[in-house]
Amino acid sequence: MKKIRLGIFKYSCCAGCQFQFFFFQEHVLETLGVVDIVYCKMGTSGGEKEGPFDVALIEGAITESWQVDELKKIREVSRFLVPIGSCAVNGGIPAIKNIYPEIEVEKRVYKDLSVIHSVKAHPIDEYVRVDGYVRGCPMGERELLELLSSLLLNTKPSFPEYCVCVECKLKGIICLLIAEGKPCMGPVTNAGCGALCPSHGRACYGCWGPVSDANAPALAKKFEQLGLAPDDIVRKFTQFASPRIEFRKGAEMYE
Amino acid sequence: MSEKVISIDYLARVEGETAIEINIKGKEPQELKLKIFEPPRFFEGFLVGRKYYEVPDIVARICGICPVSHMTTALRAIEKAMGINPSEQTKILRRLMSLSQMVSSHLVHLYILAMPDYYGYPGAQEMLPEFTEELSRLMRMKKVMNDLTAAIGGRASHPVSAVVNGFTDLPSSRMVEKLHRDLEKTEDDAVRTVRMVSEFPFASFFRKAEYVALNAANRYAMMEGSIVSSEGLDIPEEDYEEYFEEEEVSYSMAKRAKVKAGGPLMVGALARLNLKFDQLSPSVRKLAQEVGFRTPDHNPFHNNLAQSLELLYGIQECRQILENLELFPEDSSYRVRAGEGGAVTEAPRGLLYHRYAINARGVIEKANIVTPTVHNFANIEEDMRHLVRQNSDLPERKIALLCEMLARAYDPCFSCSVH
Repeated sequence: MKKIRLGIFKYSCCAGCQFQFFFFQEHVLETLGVVDIVYCKMGTSGGEKEGPFDVALIEGAITESWQVDELKKIREVSRFLVPIGSCAVNGGIPAIKNIYPEIEVEKRVYKDLSVIHSVKAHPIDEYVRVDGYVRGCPMGERELLELLSSLLLNTKPSFPEYCVCVECKLKGIICLLIAEGKPCMGPVTNAGCGALCPSHGRACYGCWGPVSDANAPALAKKFEQLGLAPDDIVRKFTQFASPRIEFRKGAEMYE
Repeated sequence: MSEKVISIDYLARVEGETAIEINIKGKEPQELKLKIFEPPRFFEGFLVGRKYYEVPDIVARICGICPVSHMTTALRAIEKAMGINPSEQTKILRRLMSLSQMVSSHLVHLYILAMPDYYGYPGAQEMLPEFTEELSRLMRMKKVMNDLTAAIGGRASHPVSAVVNGFTDLPSSRMVEKLHRDLEKTEDDAVRTVRMVSEFPFASFFRKAEYVALNAANRYAMMEGSIVSSEGLDIPEEDYEEYFEEEEVSYSMAKRAKVKAGGPLMVGALARLNLKFDQLSPSVRKLAQEVGFRTPDHNPFHNNLAQSLELLYGIQECRQILENLELFPEDSSYRVRAGEGGAVTEAPRGLLYHRYAINARGVIEKANIVTPTVHNFANIEEDMRHLVRQNSDLPERKIALLCEMLARAYDPCFSCSVH
């Protein structure tokens, strides 16, 4: 069998999704039997940066123009291009800054701004066509496995397209929002984590980003009823996916 | 006069993005730059205006390899600012989580990022199938350490249950027992790791640095005690900003820290061992002697060897803690108060500092974060300058490889350094 040619690229992020490859536990060695990582700076010197790739995995948000130039080139030489992790999928944590004027944020960190060429943080699909999303912060192991095995089988990968609440119900977790009055982001957040935070007694904070049919305004109103101040509600919807319209709708009612 | 140019446009097998540029005239490196081009994400900028309880989850995302360190340091700084004293149980769980992450981080560095250099491979992928035994050992150990971090934090990377003044959930006693058993098996693998690393053909290069680490009287300090250095510094963590400073560097997105009264400093495994080797267990010390590691050790390449010894120590201590661990649900309520607090911890790569000013509503007004690689930045460049001078007769390709290996020996994290 011909090995899948894989390229891994990093933009503005913590590198935690690439690191998931090393966290990929018992699957790593078997994966390397069928996948040829032809470009991955964190793992290997040199590499074939120019491709071609059967699949290019992109981690990180776009915050500088050179990244866009590179990204377009990668798109041209890749059969499939898939953003991995919240930063690449939704803008993630780096996009918190988007809700403030850029220069204010930059001035708090650097005195000399003449060498800073940063722009607002954007997800990958704002610049190029993508062929799917591997969600999670860091990306889900199950999602990665699903992507790689469907590439091998030439099938369409199946990712959960429902909210965290479904996973809570399947696990029999008592609703933190309704029963305990905790401001849980589960109803608007894409599943995949296995209701991780609720399983550990904590309200979901939305790190996997919005589910496509999220009703953020309704949840925002619920938060208001629970006694959250308007600025706290805005923070809820701007922590992990501030560029996404599904979350924006919740934030903008209280801005 | 002969002229050589070393230009590495994107250093491989480190976390994050940097280039290295060196101009050598005769024997002298005229210009030497660690050009850290990792794009800034402005954590210290956008944290202002956020609520204190968001901070640990947000700063975990500074680094995908040491999220526990950023989380724990932020939690400690916030608790200091608000006058909260977490329980002994919380402290011991944080210590376990930090030790398990340290072992994980050292493992990946040694086996995947550093090892290929010493056997002439571009990466670990290319080392298969010849090194299947070694890489299987890595996976075995990594799995146990991940399981341990996840048992406490809920998730190995970017944990979820660690919050201000405690944990939202505790591992079950069955889980604790299982991990204790798993760790027992891991210890042999760790000893083999030390022996393997001690056989890496390290470059013979010596340059004394000012070594800086946290130090406590009664234990191998991870998040307590005072900041000490090999030049006699001994200060409480609150005074960090009085004794250390950061400067902006025109060619780098990361700032460069130094000791105000001194200069470049070195933090991380080698610095820790140079300062507190005596606090390691007798069996680790004995093994160190056996493989020829003696402190003070002034060879920065030996940071890898120091990491392997620390890895063994970390596994031993985790096991010891788990042996008598009984956990009880605790009252972790607290009152939100205005205040300012700074905290220092030992991240896998060395000293990590977080400081926050918080208002009465719990909103962050000021944030300052200084990471291990920012502390090491100046010293990596200084070491490199000396290394190049000593090896300036070699062809460019070989000098470049030596410089790459030196930078990697520090186990730098450029994502952290820029943040």
